[in-house]
Amino acid sequence: MAANYWESSQRKYWTFSKKGLADVRRAQESEPANKQLIATYPLPERRLLNIYFHLQLAKLAKRMSVRQQALATAQVYMRRYYTKVEIRTTNPYLVLATSLYLACKMEECPQHIRIVVGEARQLWPELISSDTSKLGECEFNLISTMNSQLIVHHPYRSFIDLQTTFSLVQEEVSLAWSAINDHFLTDLPLLHPPHVVAITAVLLAVVLKPTQGNLQSHAQSLQTAMSTIAVPPSNTAPTTAQARIQKLITWLAESSVSIEAVVDCVQELISLYDVWESFNEKQCKEQITRFVKALALDK
Amino acid sequence: MASMSSVPRPKHITDRYKIIGFISSGTYGRVYKAKGKNGHVGEFAIKKFKPDKEGEVGYTGISQSAIREMALCTELSHPNVVHTVEIILENKCIYIVFEYAEHDLLQIIHHHSQPNRAAIPARSIKSIMYQLLHGLLYLHRNWVMHRDLKPANIMVTSKGEVKIGDLGLARLFQRPLNTLFTGDKVVVTIWYRAPELLLGARHYTPAIDLWAVGCIFAELLSLRPIFKGEEAKMDNKKSVPFQRNQMQKIAEILGLPTKDHWPLLSSMPEYAQLANLSAGNSRVASPQTLHKWYWNIVHMNKYPSDPASMTPGKEGLALLKGLLEYDPQKRLTAEQALQHPYFTDDDKPGENCFEGSGIEYPLRRVSQEDNDIRTSSLPGTKRSGLPDDSYGGRPAKRLKEA
Repeated sequence: MAANYWESSQRKYWTFSKKGLADVRRAQESEPANKQLIATYPLPERRLLNIYFHLQLAKLAKRMSVRQQALATAQVYMRRYYTKVEIRTTNPYLVLATSLYLACKMEECPQHIRIVVGEARQLWPELISSDTSKLGECEFNLISTMNSQLIVHHPYRSFIDLQTTFSLVQEEVSLAWSAINDHFLTDLPLLHPPHVVAITAVLLAVVLKPTQGNLQSHAQSLQTAMSTIAVPPSNTAPTTAQARIQKLITWLAESSVSIEAVVDCVQELISLYDVWESFNEKQCKEQITRFVKALALDK
Repeated sequence: MASMSSVPRPKHITDRYKIIGFISSGTYGRVYKAKGKNGHVGEFAIKKFKPDKEGEVGYTGISQSAIREMALCTELSHPNVVHTVEIILENKCIYIVFEYAEHDLLQIIHHHSQPNRAAIPARSIKSIMYQLLHGLLYLHRNWVMHRDLKPANIMVTSKGEVKIGDLGLARLFQRPLNTLFTGDKVVVTIWYRAPELLLGARHYTPAIDLWAVGCIFAELLSLRPIFKGEEAKMDNKKSVPFQRNQMQKIAEILGLPTKDHWPLLSSMPEYAQLANLSAGNSRVASPQTLHKWYWNIVHMNKYPSDPASMTPGKEGLALLKGLLEYDPQKRLTAEQALQHPYFTDDDKPGENCFEGSGIEYPLRRVSQEDNDIRTSSLPGTKRSGLPDDSYGGRPAKRLKEA
C-alpha cells in the first residue's frame, strides 16, 4: 500500500523483468499502425530521448520551482505512459508538461493548470497550445493509461535511512543523491524496487572517491570499483574506506537485496553515462518536432 | 512482476453498470447505486466526480482531492476500508466504483434517535468501534490520514461489517514536502475537529483522526454530537477564523486545556484565544466533566450497570477519555485503543456489529429522480429524499485548497 512497497501497485503492475519490458516494447512497436510511424519518423535511441526529456522537464520544473520529488514522479509517469503508448502518437512536450502537472498534485505541491501551460509555452512556444483543456485532456489519458495508479515509491526515503546506517559524509551524500536522480533517466524505475536503487547509490558513493567529482566522468572507474567489491579486501591494514566497503558487503549479504540487481543497476548507470557522450540535443529536438508538426500533434 | 501489457481497452460505465438510483451529492459530485451488468454481479456505489468547474465543456484539470482519492483507493485494501472495485475515466468524468454498503453510522444513529426507540446496543457499539479502529490502524500504518472521519463517512454493510469510506480528504503524511496546513487550510467537519486543529496547528498528526473517533464513540452512545458547535464562516479566502464556539463546546465538557497537561499548548497559533473563552460562558468556567457527561448518558439511554455485554461500562469511559485527550501526543493511537480493556476485558467485540441485536435498520434511501449517470445535470441541483449530510442541520466539511 501507500507506504508499503511490497503491497503497492508499483510492485504489482509497474515493475518489470528486463525481458518483460522488452516484450512490452516489442509488442508495441510491431503493431501495424505503429510500424508505419516508426519507419517514417526515426528517433534517437530511447536512452538519448530520455536524456532529452529529462533536460526539458528539469527546465520546466525549475521555472516553477518544483521540488525534486515531484520532478522524479513526473519522470516515472512519462516512463510508464510510454510503455503503453507509442511516442509518435503523442505530443511529447504536452505529455511532459502534463506529467509534471499531475505529479505536483500527487506530491502535494499543486500548480495551477494555467501556470503550467503558461510556463510550458514560454519554453516551447511552437509546440504547446494555449488551450488549457489540451493539458486537461492529456491528464485524463495519462491517469486512465496508468490505471489511476499514481502513488510512486522513490529511492529517496530508503536512502535517507541508509545514509545513517553507513554514516555517509556530505560529499558522499550528494554523490549518491545524484546517482538516484540520474537513475530516473534510465529504465531502472521500471525494473528495480526503490530500495535496490538506494543501496546502489550508497555503494557508488562509498566505493568511489567523492573527491573525484561527478559520476558521469567516472564510467570507467565505476567498472573497476565494481570488480573490487567482488573481491573482499585483504585483512592486512584495512583502511577506513575498505572497512566501510566491507560493512556494506556484509550488510548486502545479510539483506534480501540481490547482488545481481545491484550490479545491474550499476551497469545501467554506467551505460547511461556512456551513451550521454553521444547525446545531441539539437538532433533530438529536430526529430521530435518533425513528427509532432507533420502529424499535427500540437494542435 | 508486471505482465505483458497492451493498450488498455476503454471501459464504458454503462456497459458494466445499471444505475438503480441516486444516493447523495456533495461538493465533489454525486453518488449512485448501481447493479452490475453483463456478467458483472453485485451491487455497487458509484461516485461520479463533477468536472472542476460546473457547466464546463472542456477539460479543466482534475481536482487534487479527486486525484488523492483515486490514487489512495487503488492502493488500499482492508476489510474495514470501503473496497474500490474499479475506476473508470470516461467523457470528462471520473467514476469510482465502490462495494455497496446498505447503511452508515449516521443513518444508524438517526434510526435510534427517533422518539421511543432504545439506544444502540452496547455490543453493537463495541463491534463498530473495534472495526472502525482496525480500519484506521491500517490507514495510519500506511501513512494515510483520513482527515474527515464522521458518522456519515463510516459505512456498515448488511452483514454488519464496518468500513471507512470517503477518502476525499485523506492524504499521505510520510515526510511531506510542505506542512499539511499549506495544502488544506481547513480539514475535518467542525464537530469532529481536534483541538490542535482548532488552535491552528501547522504540523498535525494522525491523532486528529483519533479525536474524531472519540467524538463518534460519544455520538454512538448519546445519539447526538457531543461537541455541537457553530462554525464561524471564513470571511475571506486568506484567513481562517478561530472556531471559538466549537472550542467552547469542547471546554464546556472537558474544561480548558492547560499548559501543565499539554506542554506544547502555548506554541499553538491561536493559544491567546483560550484566555477569554470563558468570558460570558459560565459552563466553560465550571465544566461538566466527561465523567458526568458519560454517566448521565449511560443513565438516560438506560444502559444497565451489568452484565458487560449490555453496557459500555466504566471501561467505555476510560476509552473515551483516552480518545478525547487534549494533548495529541498523549491521545491514544489506533493501536493503543485496540488494546484497551474496553475491548480486551470480559465481553469481546464481535465481527458483526448487528449480531444478536434483532434490529431491522431501514435500507439506504435511493431516489429515482436522477438515474442517468451520464446526464450533465449539475451536482446539488437535485436532491434525494434525505442527503446524507443533512440530518439535523449537519455541517458539511469545509475544504479550502491552496
